[in-house]
Amino acid sequence: MLSLRNKDVRWAFIWLVTTAIIAVWDILFLNKPALKLVVAGFFNTFIIAFLVIFVTLLMGWMATLGLHYLQEGKHKTGYLLLNFFFNLIRSVPQVIGILLGYVAVGMCIQQGLVHSGFAIFALLSFCMGLFIFLEMADCMWERIDHYQKLDFYNAMRVCGVSQSRIINFNILWKNSRIHIFNKLISVMGIAVFLQCSVDFIISVGLSTQANQVTLPTTLGNLLANLDSKQDILAVGNTLTHPLYFPHLFFEHLQGLTVAFLIVFSLLCIHNIANGYAERHRL
Amino acid sequence: MIPERYCITIKSGNRSIVKCDDFGVGWEKINFLFGESGIGKSLLCKAVYGLLDRDELDIAVNGETYEKHCSDTLTNDIKRSGFFVFQEPSSHFNPLLRIREQLSEGSLSRRQVLDDSVRRLFENSDDKAIQKILDLYPKPFRPSGGEKQRMLLAMAFKKIDSFLESKKEDRNAVFVFDEPTGSLDNNYRNLFLSLLLEKYAQKPFTALFITHDYSIISRIHTHHKNLLSHVCFKELSRKTDTLVELHDFSSVEYLKWLDASRPPRYEQPSRQKPVLSAQANFSIFGRSYTICKDEARTIPARLTIGKGEMVYIKAASGVGKTTLAKIIMGLYRAQRFSMTLSGIDATHETPNSVWAKRIWGKKAGMVFQHADEALDLAITIRETFQGLPLAHKLNSDDIKNALAQLFDRESLTDAFLKRKVAYLSGGQKQRLNLLRTLILNTDLIILDEPLNGLDFLGVKRVLGMLEEKRRAGSSILLISHNEEIFDSLIDRERIYYLA
Repeated sequence: MLSLRNKDVRWAFIWLVTTAIIAVWDILFLNKPALKLVVAGFFNTFIIAFLVIFVTLLMGWMATLGLHYLQEGKHKTGYLLLNFFFNLIRSVPQVIGILLGYVAVGMCIQQGLVHSGFAIFALLSFCMGLFIFLEMADCMWERIDHYQKLDFYNAMRVCGVSQSRIINFNILWKNSRIHIFNKLISVMGIAVFLQCSVDFIISVGLSTQANQVTLPTTLGNLLANLDSKQDILAVGNTLTHPLYFPHLFFEHLQGLTVAFLIVFSLLCIHNIANGYAERHRL
Repeated sequence: MIPERYCITIKSGNRSIVKCDDFGVGWEKINFLFGESGIGKSLLCKAVYGLLDRDELDIAVNGETYEKHCSDTLTNDIKRSGFFVFQEPSSHFNPLLRIREQLSEGSLSRRQVLDDSVRRLFENSDDKAIQKILDLYPKPFRPSGGEKQRMLLAMAFKKIDSFLESKKEDRNAVFVFDEPTGSLDNNYRNLFLSLLLEKYAQKPFTALFITHDYSIISRIHTHHKNLLSHVCFKELSRKTDTLVELHDFSSVEYLKWLDASRPPRYEQPSRQKPVLSAQANFSIFGRSYTICKDEARTIPARLTIGKGEMVYIKAASGVGKTTLAKIIMGLYRAQRFSMTLSGIDATHETPNSVWAKRIWGKKAGMVFQHADEALDLAITIRETFQGLPLAHKLNSDDIKNALAQLFDRESLTDAFLKRKVAYLSGGQKQRLNLLRTLILNTDLIILDEPLNGLDFLGVKRVLGMLEEKRRAGSSILLISHNEEIFDSLIDRERIYYLA
């Protein structure tokens, strides 16, 4: 039963309530254009993060099955090639890989190859998923490997149960979905973090193809926005002018909201993942 | 004085695990406690002994709280003067202390480490060999399971010796042996049994001997007849899902059944090709094996099983019976091995795809030894039957009919089908494990320890089902340490020995 006594549920609740309170505060005190940007940034960031989860799950699952069937079918060359390709991806730092992906997406947008908002979101998610999915594949691979060592796997095979049913239904769905879901929560955290990092890097003008104009508004590029930077600097100002502190909550809401949403969301996701792992004794 | 009956209820949260209103054993007798695996034999004994975890479980003994039972003088007396031999020797031993140190810990400290009981349990082998074992730190595979088991029994015998030497009237000495012969072959089992009964004859004590090994009955009837009046055979059986009852087990009925068991009559050998014909010699994992037809294991013979035949493979524990079964099923690849299975020639080079497409579940099926590992515990009973290569998809009624062959019909409700396999008792899991393969229409069925964890009723049901399958034309290859039962059911011509 889900209860607030569970750490994961408690932190999900805290995240929802805090976000709702911030939303109400911003509606009351943040100017309309800035509010519109913050709302768009928040939803875009989380829509992309959810799409990344979907892409990661799909790619991770396909990669795992691909490797498994190549290994079982004794297709050594195919197995080595696929493994080499995965290791190649693994060797690229995630931030660099995603940055390059963003540049490619930016070029596509500039050349008019991609028009609709959803297509842009999907492409961005794919870029991120491409450099994250191996984490999911590793998790699935470990689970399959663990069960293959037990009699469980062979006992079912000799009864004529198909390999795809054993792998997909018995191992991955029935016996690993908790592990997979836990990994997906982590992927959500990775996606938000990488998105914000890459958007921030882009916003300092590293690329002419990928920039704040061509890519959708997210929390990351909002944070690099000039107004937000000034808001963040105002926080530093309160250290020397403590009486200025109350002004932060009325005059510097854009930057503060964005910075808080990023940091607080990451903290909550971290605690949700930990709590979920504790609850299921992973 | 120990009460005649204990009323014990054990719960975990809202879930009732086991309830027994009449758990009573023979006072100053050797009590053999039978019953299917997971029914609650160990739990009930541990509850009496005050060994269960009070934080994890909600326990009531004779209407009192478990705290009160544990602090009771009688319970403490039982603990002080008796001994509890746990089922799994590895979990009983401390891996950070040498076995020698553990044999002289606590109340055993005044006794000599290497005494007569240890020597007897090790068949009076060289003291040097025993000393080597005593100097070991217990690890998973070192010493062997059997050696660890005998050392554990030696500990219990030291405590029994203290009891025998004590001049004080100690009527509360209870010695519990939880599956003490699980890792012992028949020779060592008999040595242990003789020693136990010999000590008992010197001065009676209460012993609780939890076991699935029904062949102990014959052993006592043939070799320890004089002590029969001091021996109680009891069986724990299920009344409802959680309520169990302890009743007397009729050893005479068992012996009569065994005596009446006969190998099936086979018709004249047909000219049909055998279902399985495997070469006699093979090597795997750096060891060479030979299948023989004679008990002396001198004459290699092809393993041949005709249609509708039941063949039994014998070998000591750890020799490689399961390995051979896995080779026949294509799960292990022996060097230069060839066989013919239902008209399909298979060698060590036959690709996995051939086994998957043509053999597994179609021509041959296998029941693995440990139901706990062989079954998917996360799925329901109904789901266990899904995905099998059957002519038609099984509905609830089909599954219930299949289960009815080994389960009580009354227990087969829709709710039972939806129950997770993890929540079944060991015996129920074993029956499900067997049914999953026996429901298939394969030419060859390999059964690795099919009677593991079953009670007498379960044993009779499984053997009945095997006979039905055999009559229907399936060939059966048996691997089992229940030699007494299978020796009476399988004629000598159909017994092979693995060397």
